[in-house]
Amino acid sequence: MHMIRDVLDKQVVDRNQAKIGKVDGIVAQLRQGKPPRVIAVEIGSIALARRLGPLPGRWMVILVAKLRGERHAKPHRVAWSKVRDIDLDIEIDVDVRKTAIFEWQDWLRDHIVGRIPGA
Amino acid sequence: MKKLLEISLGVVTSVGGFLEVGSLATAAQTGALFHFQLVWAILLGTICIIFLVEMAGRFAAVSKHTIADGIRERFGFNAFLWPLVSTLLVNFLVLSAEIGGVSIAAEFATGIGFQWWALPVAFIAWLLLWKGTFGLIEKGVSLLGLVTLCFVVAAVILKPDWTRVAVSAVPSLPHHDTATYWFMAVSILGASISPYLFMFYSAGAIEDKWDKSYLGINRAIAGLGMSFGGTISIAVLIVAALVLGANGITQVDDYHQLPLMLTPVFGFWGFVLFVASLGIACFGATVEIALQQAYLVAQGFGWNWGEDRKPREDPGFTMVYTVTIFAAAIPIALGLDPLKLTIFSMALTAASLPLAVVPFLFLLNDRSYIGEHRNGVISNAAVLFIIALGFILAVVTIPLQIFGGG
Repeated sequence: MHMIRDVLDKQVVDRNQAKIGKVDGIVAQLRQGKPPRVIAVEIGSIALARRLGPLPGRWMVILVAKLRGERHAKPHRVAWSKVRDIDLDIEIDVDVRKTAIFEWQDWLRDHIVGRIPGA
Repeated sequence: MKKLLEISLGVVTSVGGFLEVGSLATAAQTGALFHFQLVWAILLGTICIIFLVEMAGRFAAVSKHTIADGIRERFGFNAFLWPLVSTLLVNFLVLSAEIGGVSIAAEFATGIGFQWWALPVAFIAWLLLWKGTFGLIEKGVSLLGLVTLCFVVAAVILKPDWTRVAVSAVPSLPHHDTATYWFMAVSILGASISPYLFMFYSAGAIEDKWDKSYLGINRAIAGLGMSFGGTISIAVLIVAALVLGANGITQVDDYHQLPLMLTPVFGFWGFVLFVASLGIACFGATVEIALQQAYLVAQGFGWNWGEDRKPREDPGFTMVYTVTIFAAAIPIALGLDPLKLTIFSMALTAASLPLAVVPFLFLLNDRSYIGEHRNGVISNAAVLFIIALGFILAVVTIPLQIFGGG
């Protein structure tokens, strides 16, 4: 398997087949004298902005910290051990509702979309 | 039989994507100024879009992924950013032009200036997206869109010299206004081969839950649906040539000239039919493009999406079309001339074409997505041809806009 070809940018679905994002980043651990090991995939705007370069990455961290607080100013990580299946989509053994990945969608629902009649 | 009814996806894509303010305006302008001479451009555009739509449908039916998904996943985020940004921008301008088209139809119908209609039109389109299902939009727009066949009836009644129409299917050099001729050829191709059109179709195939058993019907739908739009565009061109051009109106630079096209044939009803056709075709396009903006963003970033789901289930997806549709109404509400915006945005569509078409060459040959259903020699030759055409269009559009667009 090639991490870049077969994992990066692929669709991530949770255990209920909800589309929760694309693989925006891959985290590998460097180990002394051994090959690096993949430990997690990253999802979200900060991981994406870092793909464009260190500067956009820093800007996004500042923006997210301003909007949602310092606590959230890091990319969402899903441990590699949660990955169940790698095909066209990457399936992970996680329930997205129990993570912070869709917090911004929840915010939109509570503050804007849910308040419009018929939503 | 049930699958045959799926033809409505082809017709809705065609009415909303092909036959819209861009095609109507460019076909009317060229017919008035160059008679039948540019029929070839519509024909060429139709053939190209049939190939692209068939491929987009096949890709979605086999891989269960849309073209936008495929571009992001196959080429990575940094490469995806270019088609994402350019398509979002061009779509925004075209959406604005379509809202302008509906607003003008409303102005013709009521006498109240078009800028007052922009926000109400945006609201009605938004309401349809908010409350409606994909099936309702698809079937509703395709049924109402049949009214545009009045142009075909008019073209036949006007008894054009069909041999001259047929001869114009072969490209020829202009005898006057050379720069304008080529600018209009580019605008027609831009109005016909729109990226949002085949991207919308691939998302529609997922909305309608297509699988491999739809491959045959997909081919028929792509062919018939896009031919529907192409035929009507050619009919508009013929009517414009025989009514506007023959009466000395060669420069269609004011949209108030347009409803006159059908009155010599149908009398007062010609006016009604024109207004209905313009309104419905542009409204279909408004809904389609607003939805496509939301599809593109949601698919590009991997969120849940679907027109059949409740807005509160996918707040991100619904917010994209909500914001887009009202923002796009603003330029029209401020009084920007819809016809000028249309011509400008059609040329820009042509310029953005390569970014959206080059991925087809890779995606439709990628076994991990479509296995044994990958492109054959003919489809690949067609893609290569469209890519070459796209690059030519992208290079010549801006200079032609300056010399021929004014």
